[in-house]
Amino acid sequence: MASAPPPSTGRELLSPPTDGISNLRFSNHSDHLLVSSWDKSVRLYDATANALRGEFMHGGAVLDCCFHDDTSGFSASADHTVRRLVFNYNREDVLGRHDGPVRCIEYSYATGQVITGSWDKTLKCWDPRSSSGQDRSLVGTYTQPERVYSMSLVGNRLVVATAGRHVNVYDLRNMSQPEQRRESSLKYQTRCVRCYPNGTGYALSSVEGRVAMEFFDLSETGQSKKYAFKCHRKSEAGRDIVYPVNAIAFHPIYGTFATGGCDGYVNVWDGNNKKRLYQYTKYPTSIAALSFSRDGRLLAVASSYTYEEGDKTHEPDAIFVRSVNEVEVKPKPKMLPNPAS
Amino acid sequence: MSACHGNVLLRMQSAFGSLLYELQLIWEEIGESDDERDRMIAELEQECLEVFRRKVDQVNMRRAQLRLAIADAEAEFAAICSEIGEQPVHIRQSDRKPESLKAELRMIQPLIEELRKRKNARKNQVSEVLTEMQNIKNEICSSDGVSSNEPPTIEPDLSIKKLEELHRDLRALQMEKKKCQKMTQDRLNSLHSLCVVLGLDLKKVANEIHPSLGEAKSSKNISNSTIEKLGTAIQQLRELKLQRMQQLQDLTASLLELWNLMDTPIEEQQVFQKVTCKLAASEDEITEPNMLSIDHINYVEAEVSRLEELKESKMKELVLKKRAELEDICRKTHLTPERESAMAMAIAMHATESGSVDAACVLDAIELQIARAKEEALSRKEILEKVEKWMAAREEESWLEKYNRDGNRYNAGRGAHLTLKRAEKARALVNKLPAMMDTIASKILAWENERGIEFIYDGVRLLTILEGYKVLRKDKEIQRKRQRDQKKHHGQLLTEQEAVYGSKPSAIKNSNVKKAPRLSYAGASNRKLSLGEPMLQSHVTPAAKVLPNIRTTKKNECINQKSPRLSYAGASSRKVSLVEPMLQSHVTPAVKVIPNIRTTKKNECMNQNRKDDRHAASSSVQRRGLNRAGVTTKQHSSNLSTAREAERQLMRKPFSPLSSANPSKTAAANVMEDLNRKHNELWQKLLTINRTPPNIKLRAEQENRTPQKTPTTSPLTPGTISIPMPTAVTPASIKMTSIARVEEELEYSFEERRAHFVLPKSPLINVGTK
Repeated sequence: MASAPPPSTGRELLSPPTDGISNLRFSNHSDHLLVSSWDKSVRLYDATANALRGEFMHGGAVLDCCFHDDTSGFSASADHTVRRLVFNYNREDVLGRHDGPVRCIEYSYATGQVITGSWDKTLKCWDPRSSSGQDRSLVGTYTQPERVYSMSLVGNRLVVATAGRHVNVYDLRNMSQPEQRRESSLKYQTRCVRCYPNGTGYALSSVEGRVAMEFFDLSETGQSKKYAFKCHRKSEAGRDIVYPVNAIAFHPIYGTFATGGCDGYVNVWDGNNKKRLYQYTKYPTSIAALSFSRDGRLLAVASSYTYEEGDKTHEPDAIFVRSVNEVEVKPKPKMLPNPAS
Repeated sequence: MSACHGNVLLRMQSAFGSLLYELQLIWEEIGESDDERDRMIAELEQECLEVFRRKVDQVNMRRAQLRLAIADAEAEFAAICSEIGEQPVHIRQSDRKPESLKAELRMIQPLIEELRKRKNARKNQVSEVLTEMQNIKNEICSSDGVSSNEPPTIEPDLSIKKLEELHRDLRALQMEKKKCQKMTQDRLNSLHSLCVVLGLDLKKVANEIHPSLGEAKSSKNISNSTIEKLGTAIQQLRELKLQRMQQLQDLTASLLELWNLMDTPIEEQQVFQKVTCKLAASEDEITEPNMLSIDHINYVEAEVSRLEELKESKMKELVLKKRAELEDICRKTHLTPERESAMAMAIAMHATESGSVDAACVLDAIELQIARAKEEALSRKEILEKVEKWMAAREEESWLEKYNRDGNRYNAGRGAHLTLKRAEKARALVNKLPAMMDTIASKILAWENERGIEFIYDGVRLLTILEGYKVLRKDKEIQRKRQRDQKKHHGQLLTEQEAVYGSKPSAIKNSNVKKAPRLSYAGASNRKLSLGEPMLQSHVTPAAKVLPNIRTTKKNECINQKSPRLSYAGASSRKVSLVEPMLQSHVTPAVKVIPNIRTTKKNECMNQNRKDDRHAASSSVQRRGLNRAGVTTKQHSSNLSTAREAERQLMRKPFSPLSSANPSKTAAANVMEDLNRKHNELWQKLLTINRTPPNIKLRAEQENRTPQKTPTTSPLTPGTISIPMPTAVTPASIKMTSIARVEEELEYSFEERRAHFVLPKSPLINVGTK
């Protein structure tokens, strides 16, 4: 346990990764936290006990990771591999391989498949139950218009955001072609995409301090609900300084969401009422990733320089786990249920 | 007795004897004579007898008295008995003869006493009943509470039979009283219900009839007169009720009518639901309290009058509207509203305003007029349409005249071809005018013949208008002829003048004035673009931006060719600016990339520089070494101070993609060249100063070489240049798309840059190391 946890930012986890944090995720079953990092490692923490429970070293920087269940997970690495990690035996094996660095990884509970997106402009689905070996586990390869930058899953829907501001929406049951092909409504490069927990749409953030709230429903009424808002900006001497929005995380219960930007701030928003609910005190450096725990009581914040200004000296990478007050994430009363709730 | 008597006698004889003896003795002593003695004894005897007799008489008297008393008692007894109607008890008969008179008397006394008591009781009873009867009688009959309270005359007949009779009478009276009470109560009740409905104070009404009726608890006066009064009161109230009911129903009826008329909302009606549902109710059905109170009636009346007023105002409104409609029809058909009817209408309007005339009448009148006007309008329609056309033709004619007077009408300007076309049409139309007028005139004549009235157009006979116009036209023609002659004359003068001085004054001098707005238009579009959102607009606008520039500045061929390319450069800078926000916030090398593009492009001004730009941009995106580049560009730009426009662009947002179009606008081409040279030097210096890795330099050289291979001879048309339209089949288009692809690949995420990830299929050399 940390001796005197700073109350404003939350409890800092001991033994953090030694290089940039690419992603972190809470388990769906416990308060375990899986963290991937540029230091070629994937680490498993027990967030409540503040203890490191496991560490896996890879051949290259790890760009993404996700849980399978509480005993195993998957990782996407810049060395083109997709790996399965078994926490109990501290064992790992290669599930498959892409032609380029693997940027995103998701595990679908609906289909039992692992989906990976890579800079080789493809999406691949893997069946982790089959015996290891690329030929066996690979379910399909789906070409994307550009390099995959971000991915998010909800139910049978998969949203893939790529370079060139493309957004493809897939139905996992029919991956042969995208259900919808869209262009990001933001004008700048997509940083992060996350689906609403209620499955009606997704939020998409860009490098230019903006978040777009989109809806799957293609009808006019459905599309009339979409909007975008500016955030993570600073006005200084009459000039706006705009920061990339690196991370979006939805609260599993209230459907509100947190965004993290290169300004080091975490903001909590009520998407339905278009209101900011809360802003946490500034973190030492850019927010690289965010994750709410399964019950929404904890928020893991990766404060880690995201290389937006190239190689430079920066604050040490750190993971903060803060307990979330209900006031900070609950939509204000009188409001109707959130589209994302 | 006899013994006793005998004893008494014996004792008297012995007393007498002793006394005689003594007397004898005394006499002997005295020696009285015998005579004396005899006489004395005789006297004695006499006196004794006397005393005896007196006593016997006394006793006899007493006996007679007793007998009298008994007789009296007996008589009384009998009297009482007969009085109370009882069989006299025969005392003597009943018991045996009493021994003595005294006993007899003693026996008869208590009987009498008792009888007396009974008689008294009976008397009391009777009197009681009688008083009661009297009271009831009084109550029922007397007009007022003051009843005659004289004690009832005691009737001698106190028999039971009589008493019973009296009781019967009393009961009958009581019944009667009850009946009266009930009747009173009934009447009071109905009075009460009436009062409730009418909203009157029951107590007050009752008190007026009789004070006792007002109080709830106390016994009510039930006299006939009261009942009668009650009856009349009820009758009165009922009449009042009927009257009010009639009133209310009348009101209700008008209320309903008004609602119906004005579509009053249900909520408003709901308030009077209670009233309206009683519209057809009979008198008995109206039982609701206060339904017919004065207040309530007033309330309903107020509502009715309110609605009435509302209706009135609506009517007025309607009248006004109708009138407006009528006027509108008249105006449209150029009818003059009949003067007298208009007057009447005005009066009527005034009257309705003041409320003296029913608006409905006025409404009817107006509607009649409208119908008439419509009818007339229909008949006039054909002619009016023609007149309309004629008017339009006249308008066109006058415009044409004005246009003909305009000396600069053939100047090529924006929309000039349109005016030309219009003039052509107008001329054709004017030629048709006379024929048009002839038809109109004949039609009017036909119409007038048919109707027997003149065709009035806006108060004037249309034929006269036509005549007037004909005259005017003739005048104009004469004038025109004169003018033509004059012009011919003037032309002659001019040619003479030219022959003398050799110059011809030109009327076309202010063409620059016409151009100015166009210039400013281009500027405006630039400004708008430079304000932000460079992405989309730069996609669309290159052609728009470029074309005016070409036209206005009328530069030589070379620059003309250049401008599309410049716009392309702008587009390329757009791609780079994808990372702009971040760059804006942190002073990163990429910030300087864009100015670099601009300057390099400027400095080379040639077709082949296109590749270089892109290369320079991409190289500096990847390399962060060229830190000084931004500063130098700024210096360079300040050198451009002579080219004002360009500088203004620079002062704006550094990312505005459009600034590239500006140099073409600067007239001082030589200054630019000069500056370009300077900048070229700077650029070279920078490349060397910054110690860029050799591979980059190498690549730069390679890239520099490639343009020479590309066909420079084919000038790019603006249409094919715009990047989103790569489908054009010009030879340049292939190149364009490939360039566009390369452009796309300039976009990298932070992670890709960190991983030094470069797309493998890119024609660029993969600098990234794994």
